[in-house]
Amino acid sequence: MFFRARNSAPPPMTLEGALGPNDRLEAASAMRAPAPDALSVAADGSLLFSSGASVLKLRAWGQPPEPFAQFPAPVTALAGSPGGRVAVGLSGGALSVLDPAGRPLSGWRPPAGLKSIVDAMFLSEDELVVVDHGYAAGEPMLALAAWDEEGRGRIAKVSREEAPRLIAEGLWCPMGVARDAGGELLFTEFERARIVEIGGRARRSGYPGYLGRLRRTGSGYLLTCLSRRDSLIEFLKTERAFVADMKARVAPSHWIAPRLDPAFRHDVPIEAGATRLFGEIKPWAPSFSYGLVIELDHNLAPIGSAQSRAHGRRHGVSDATIWNEDMVAVSKASEELLRLGRGEGET
Amino acid sequence: MVRSLGNRMKASRLTLPFALQDLPRLRPPRFVLSSRRVLADLLSKGWVESATPIVACALVVAGVLTTQHGFFAPANLANLAQYASDGGLVVLGLLLVVAVGGIDLSVGSNFAMSAFAALYGFHILNLPLGAVLAMSLAAGALVGLVNGLLAGWIGCGALLTTLGAMITLRGLYTLASQARLVAISTSTRSDDLWDWIGGGQPLGLPVGFWVLLIVAAMVLTMFRQMRFGWHVLAIGGNRKAARHGGIPVKGTIVAAYVLGGLIVGVSGFLYAARQNSVGSDTGIGMEFFALTALVVGLGGFVPGRGAVVPVMLGFATIYILNNALINAGLRGDFVQFAMGAILAAILAVDVKFRKNRHRLIASTYLDPVAFTVDEAVAGFTPGGDAKLKGAELLATGEVDGPEDVLLDEEGHLYCGTRDGYLVRLAAPDHKQRSVVAKIGGRPLGLALDAEGRIVVCVAGMGLVRVAKSGEVELLTDQTSRSWLSVHDDTTIRMADDLDIAPDGIIYFTDATKRYDIESWGLDLLEGRPNGRLLSYDPATRKTRTVCDHLVFPNGVCLTHDGGHLLVASTWTTSLLIFDLKNLRAGPRVFCRGLPGYPDNVNRASDGGYWVALAGMRNPVMDLAMRHPGVRRRMTRAVAPANWLFGNLNIGGVLKLDASGRIVEAYWDEPDGPLYMITSMREHAGSLYLGGVTNNKIGRLRLPGANADWTGPASYWGRR
Repeated sequence: MFFRARNSAPPPMTLEGALGPNDRLEAASAMRAPAPDALSVAADGSLLFSSGASVLKLRAWGQPPEPFAQFPAPVTALAGSPGGRVAVGLSGGALSVLDPAGRPLSGWRPPAGLKSIVDAMFLSEDELVVVDHGYAAGEPMLALAAWDEEGRGRIAKVSREEAPRLIAEGLWCPMGVARDAGGELLFTEFERARIVEIGGRARRSGYPGYLGRLRRTGSGYLLTCLSRRDSLIEFLKTERAFVADMKARVAPSHWIAPRLDPAFRHDVPIEAGATRLFGEIKPWAPSFSYGLVIELDHNLAPIGSAQSRAHGRRHGVSDATIWNEDMVAVSKASEELLRLGRGEGET
Repeated sequence: MVRSLGNRMKASRLTLPFALQDLPRLRPPRFVLSSRRVLADLLSKGWVESATPIVACALVVAGVLTTQHGFFAPANLANLAQYASDGGLVVLGLLLVVAVGGIDLSVGSNFAMSAFAALYGFHILNLPLGAVLAMSLAAGALVGLVNGLLAGWIGCGALLTTLGAMITLRGLYTLASQARLVAISTSTRSDDLWDWIGGGQPLGLPVGFWVLLIVAAMVLTMFRQMRFGWHVLAIGGNRKAARHGGIPVKGTIVAAYVLGGLIVGVSGFLYAARQNSVGSDTGIGMEFFALTALVVGLGGFVPGRGAVVPVMLGFATIYILNNALINAGLRGDFVQFAMGAILAAILAVDVKFRKNRHRLIASTYLDPVAFTVDEAVAGFTPGGDAKLKGAELLATGEVDGPEDVLLDEEGHLYCGTRDGYLVRLAAPDHKQRSVVAKIGGRPLGLALDAEGRIVVCVAGMGLVRVAKSGEVELLTDQTSRSWLSVHDDTTIRMADDLDIAPDGIIYFTDATKRYDIESWGLDLLEGRPNGRLLSYDPATRKTRTVCDHLVFPNGVCLTHDGGHLLVASTWTTSLLIFDLKNLRAGPRVFCRGLPGYPDNVNRASDGGYWVALAGMRNPVMDLAMRHPGVRRRMTRAVAPANWLFGNLNIGGVLKLDASGRIVEAYWDEPDGPLYMITSMREHAGSLYLGGVTNNKIGRLRLPGANADWTGPASYWGRR
């Protein structure tokens, strides 16, 4: 009893209180978008979103999206500048910066050796910060990240005129970047479920999900979670021999890992509380996938959430932003753009 | 046509299409050796409740033996025995009152008063000895009656009532004894029997000690065997429930107080006979001595526990301790101090032990073992064509958990439900639902016997037979205890599936001896051979353990030749085969490396077998079976809902040929309605599918199957 104090990490947050269960994601109005990933509000007030290898532009909710740009590889990151420039990260680590009309601009060169670009942010019209989670296009990041023994993530600054430079290395699967009120950069770490500063210091940890992107809003931040944090996964991180055996004998597609998609599969284990009764999963059942967007205040403390629970379909939320005063999110599992209305922190 | 088909099937029944001795032999272990399991099983025993007084008594005896020379010499022992009856009997009287939920502080005063009554009757009134005894007992019982009426009948509160009685009685006693003490001590009456009671030593022990032993035995018998004793314990355990159960609560409480007073009266009488006098301090502090002994024995004031032996041990502990400390020449107040400290230590240990015992059991009960699952036969995993898609769904929402489905010769469909009913869905469309019988428990496997009655395996109950009229008869719920197990495995814990041989003997499985139906999944995490195959012979009504230590034996199916038995071993994903003519030879492996966890097995019309897969294997779960430490630590560190578990959300049906080769696999879509399939029966060209967590029964038309074939015809020739 007295020895437990050595473990000083705070207990992870649970889906209670401000994060209590709701079905806001399930109840949201939706728009189909094949293979969506990232969102960005353009300088002209329209919404840019990625769909596979293309970037589409939505002028108003309910209107058909217009093509904005097309790329040879799936789009994995989107960022807009106040001046209207759009940065696009591509699967495999390529970067493209477009002018407001969608034409590529020359002179933007990412550092060599980036495995991916999963998020980007303009620091100024001519300077960009890009996030590389460290897993190449073919690598199943979701399966691998929880069991990796080293942080592979890198952060780079890319300028139009100067040579690009790495500003941080060894992060644990960083997924998103945002700037706090003081202008300091914050990064989300996927499987560590925490938000860190550039030096690696944790600003806040113990979030109840495996984190995706972080977006600044008027009232604080929107934090997307690709999946819910799972106590079985957290426990198995301490079982090194078992994990080594799993890596040696089992293909990554069968590993225990956070998932984006709630579909039933026969080739992965379940958790004991997730058995179907009368064909259905209980909403409160544990699950390896989940739909979760957390609203944070300026101090990164949760003040609200939008959820799709274990029996829902709108899991794997990869991005969320405020557009025309509405919260808009992307569900990778249901391949939809969701409009959630005003956030709880916006009132 | 029908006849010729029947004849052809009869011909194929004669032999198995393979030589049994070519199959690999499986040797189940003779016993399971696990230190954790032994510890958990010991801690689960009822008598462990009394471990603290036993250990405390042993420690005190050991301590006295090592520090005091000659304490346990015969002379001193006789001396100890001489005085033991006073306190010992009072403790027993108090135990009675505490067991019924009361307390009696007046035992000390009562003791003194009874002793005085005896002396008064003997010396002043010159009564015959029988009348003296009666007077003493009456004095004790009267005090008990007053206490009982006030505390039990009127409800004045036991503590206050008996506190009042203690003070009043002490006053009365002081007045009476001061008035008569001189007369008593100057009396010259003597009586041989009186003296013998006071100082006689039949068979080497004082009379008082014999009385103590006899009274203790009587109280023990009362608590164990007699209605009154059970009523007392029931009231102490839960007064409200006892009243609802029809026990006369108030009368029983009063009777318990009276009986307690009576025993104190006996003690007073013995004291009077021995001492032949009383003093002003007689019985003072006795209530605290008795309460302490009781607390040590029971581990606190625990109503509803008639633990005579532990309480006597508690009494012995403090009696010996007290005497040893006085013997050692310590000052009285220091003796009190030391006694108090030692008792506090004993109680602290006891409280901790009681509080943590169940935790200790919980953390040691599950003891996983390393376990290698055979490589799965390739080519039979879900994907591609979902053959169960489009199966007709019967009784949707009307059956809760049909683990097994059964069809009789008229085509009526039967299944058990989670709430303990046996339900019939009438032929031909199976829409009309009626309850055949309320069984209780959790009905699992079903089989029709030669007379058309349904024999049901009921988890938590055993083997039950339901007549056509709906009459329920428990056939068996016990088998012989296995010798090499601390855990008493007499009771059949999870009767799972059965089949009936041509000679009428019922073969059935007890899937796990260690987990109940609600927590059967723990058996997977443990992975030990916890199950057994049993047989029940209706002719002799004898239950026999055919084969112990099987790994979750589940479905049972008699082969088409009627001479062999297939038993599914769920966690090893294999089917075993037993030769009914030579059951002692043990099982052989009929089929191994199934792609999922096999549940029930049944005959197919073409001479093969259907195997239900309750869930699917997957590489990580198979791997986890090789890592028992992970599973054990997980059950401690992770909440049960998050435990790694076999995938029971997708299941299917396998078709085996007569020699045990998988020939076909049936699946529903991943999110389809037929997901965890625990049983299937072929009947007249259709396959009926049940699932223990489902609320519907599936029916799949089997194109090309013999539409005349039915289970009852295959087993009993009925059509």
